[in-house]
Amino acid sequence: MSPSIVLVLIVALAVLAFQIGKARSIAVAGGPRHTRSLHSLPGHYGLLTAFWCVLPALAVFGVWVGFQDSVLTRLVLSNMPAEQQSLPADQLGLLLNDLRNVVAGNVPASMVSDPVRQAASDFLRLQHVAHLSLAGVALGIGVVALLWARRRIRPELRARNEYERMIEWALFACSAVAVLTTLGIVLSIVFEAGRFFGTVPITDFLFGTNWSPQTAIRADQVGSSGAFGAVPLFVGTLLISLVAMVVAVPLGLFSAIYLAEYAAPRLRRVVKPLLEVLAGVPTVVYGFFAVTTVGPMLRTVGEALGLSVAGESALAAGLVMGIMIIPFVSSLADDMITAVPQSLRDGAYALGATRSETVRQVVLRAALPGIVGGILLAVSRAIGETMIVVMAAGLAANLTLNPLEAVTTVTVQIVTLLVGDQEFDSPKTLAAFALGLMLFLVTLLLNVIALYVVRKYREQYE
Amino acid sequence: MTTENPVFACRDVNVHYGDKHAIKHVDIDVGRSEVLAMIGPSGCGKSTFLRCLNRMNDTIESARVTGSIMLDGQDIHDRKQDVVQLRARVGMVFQKPNPFPKSIYENVAYGPRIHGLAADRGELDEIVNTSLRRAGLWEEVKDRLNQPGTSLSGGQQQRLCIARTIAVNPDVILMDEPCSALDPIATARIEDLIDELRESYAICIVTHSMQQAARVSQRTAYFHLGDLIEVGETKKIFTNPQAKLTEDYITGRFG
Ligand SMILES: Nc1ncnc2c1ncn2[C@@H]1O[C@H](COP(=O)(O)OP(=O)(O)OP(=O)(O)O)[C@@H](O)[C@H]1O
Ligand SMILES: [Mg+2]
Repeated sequence: MSPSIVLVLIVALAVLAFQIGKARSIAVAGGPRHTRSLHSLPGHYGLLTAFWCVLPALAVFGVWVGFQDSVLTRLVLSNMPAEQQSLPADQLGLLLNDLRNVVAGNVPASMVSDPVRQAASDFLRLQHVAHLSLAGVALGIGVVALLWARRRIRPELRARNEYERMIEWALFACSAVAVLTTLGIVLSIVFEAGRFFGTVPITDFLFGTNWSPQTAIRADQVGSSGAFGAVPLFVGTLLISLVAMVVAVPLGLFSAIYLAEYAAPRLRRVVKPLLEVLAGVPTVVYGFFAVTTVGPMLRTVGEALGLSVAGESALAAGLVMGIMIIPFVSSLADDMITAVPQSLRDGAYALGATRSETVRQVVLRAALPGIVGGILLAVSRAIGETMIVVMAAGLAANLTLNPLEAVTTVTVQIVTLLVGDQEFDSPKTLAAFALGLMLFLVTLLLNVIALYVVRKYREQYE
Repeated sequence: MTTENPVFACRDVNVHYGDKHAIKHVDIDVGRSEVLAMIGPSGCGKSTFLRCLNRMNDTIESARVTGSIMLDGQDIHDRKQDVVQLRARVGMVFQKPNPFPKSIYENVAYGPRIHGLAADRGELDEIVNTSLRRAGLWEEVKDRLNQPGTSLSGGQQQRLCIARTIAVNPDVILMDEPCSALDPIATARIEDLIDELRESYAICIVTHSMQQAARVSQRTAYFHLGDLIEVGETKKIFTNPQAKLTEDYITGRFG
């Protein structure tokens, strides 16, 4: 009996518990006509019973499944001949790996050594027993809990309140999972970045101008020792983001102004969602567009003007990224502009201001903090954007401010550092975590500032 | 009811919001140096009518205004009439104070700036200064002209809006319930101010307070469901109204 079947049985038990609890509450009330003597509705008693029944069963299930494999492995190992038990740690690891592969069926049993084959069949046998006892224990505890919960049912039991509290706890648990996961990711990035800074000094990383992360894979190999100066990546990222913002801010802002202040309501109803659809285009499609259309086009234009444009240029990537961000800027700016109270516009009109004067000098002025916040959010999007730059910006870590040349960005380098076979503790791999940490810190900072500004602005008009 | 040499002469004014006939065949004059109060139950069209006088209804898509409204003998709906100039001549103060998100100084300077009324900074300072004085706000704000207008109290903000309006030196000031968001003391200050301003400007004020109408106005107009029921000297309207509807309203039997 596999754990998933046990899970299904637990759910079935919950349904049963609901019915039992409900029926019991009606019974203690003295029949369906007397349910008003109950503190809560019969359904609440049912839900409460189901809750109490499922909770311990699920807890047992979770703990069991979490620890089963390591316990079984240890058991099997202790049954193996002494020769294997006394292996050094790394060889033991290989052996366990074989064992796991055989158990999972990835490797036929005939391909491994005898002790391992023996251990694998032990393991499977034990696993079978473990699953059966899991079913017994979890369901048994569920039934005991069910009986206990059923006994608690009295007319004066405040099932509704207890049920409410349980809902609250369940919701809390869900958000805790989300927060803790994020925290875990951040911590692991910080930790790995710390290991990186143990081999490469942080000042070299932050201020070095040479980025070539190729390190020797074997100790006896000749070759570069790797240079981890991230300045070219930072500059490249900034350059591309700058190009993107130069495209996105005016276009996004002006289209927002047009939609919010000038367009007829009917037009607005059509165009605004259309613009927002743009935000839903997968970035890989934009990247495609950058490589096949914008890049070559820039090249042709550049040649006509006597400029040399690299095939993969910061300009191409930035332009396309800017287009990608337009809906982001315009939709936020539009929200901010429409949030400006009509009374301010009336005040300006009543003084004889024209529409563009009103928009420029009063409406935008009032919406400015919100718009700035929106733009900061867009910048953090641009900095973290990966796909377009991977496809269109290139890999060369040039330290340049010329948008016609190929540059590379933090995100692109993270991708290239981690693609392919890697040793997980070489500085090359760890460098990805350091870059990730930088990226995380910068976008976090931008988001915090932006959200603060936007919130402050919203409060002003409430 | 006609007045000699009126600032505004309105004849057969109608306003429709889509199908809704909000103002029906209204004839009314606004005299020079007079305060005309407009009273009536909620939704009777006082604001709508007031907004006809500076064509603020233009900003409402569904609104359609017909009839003739003459400002100093010039039809304000005439092709030649520029709405920007019209609004410079007919200022408006709103129910809720709505200072711009700018400094106190810039709030008052805004109108003169867009109409090019000041040749240099000195003149602009002068205009701001006198406008704030006339609005009775100067003493309170003279040391903080660079602070945002929104940092003032509600009553101060409303006087700032009045200062902003008189800074462009209009002929008429329209006020739509200018005191309804203010406490009695701030209200009294605004009422005193209206009384002083009357010497230089014609003022139309919408109010829900009968006492306020009696205190500040020379003439009062009573609106009911889009009809102008009667208009006349304030004293007469309140002591001896001609129409039954007016009497019911001011004696509190209705509305
Ligand atoms: N923008 C609009 N669109 C459609 N109808 C409107 C609009 N503004 C006002 N109305 C209608 O016109 C009528 C007159 O409204 P108006 O605001 O002029 O009344 P009022 O006398 O100022 O009322 P109050 O004393 O409550 O301010 C009302 O029935 C209102 O519903
Ligand atoms: Mg009104």
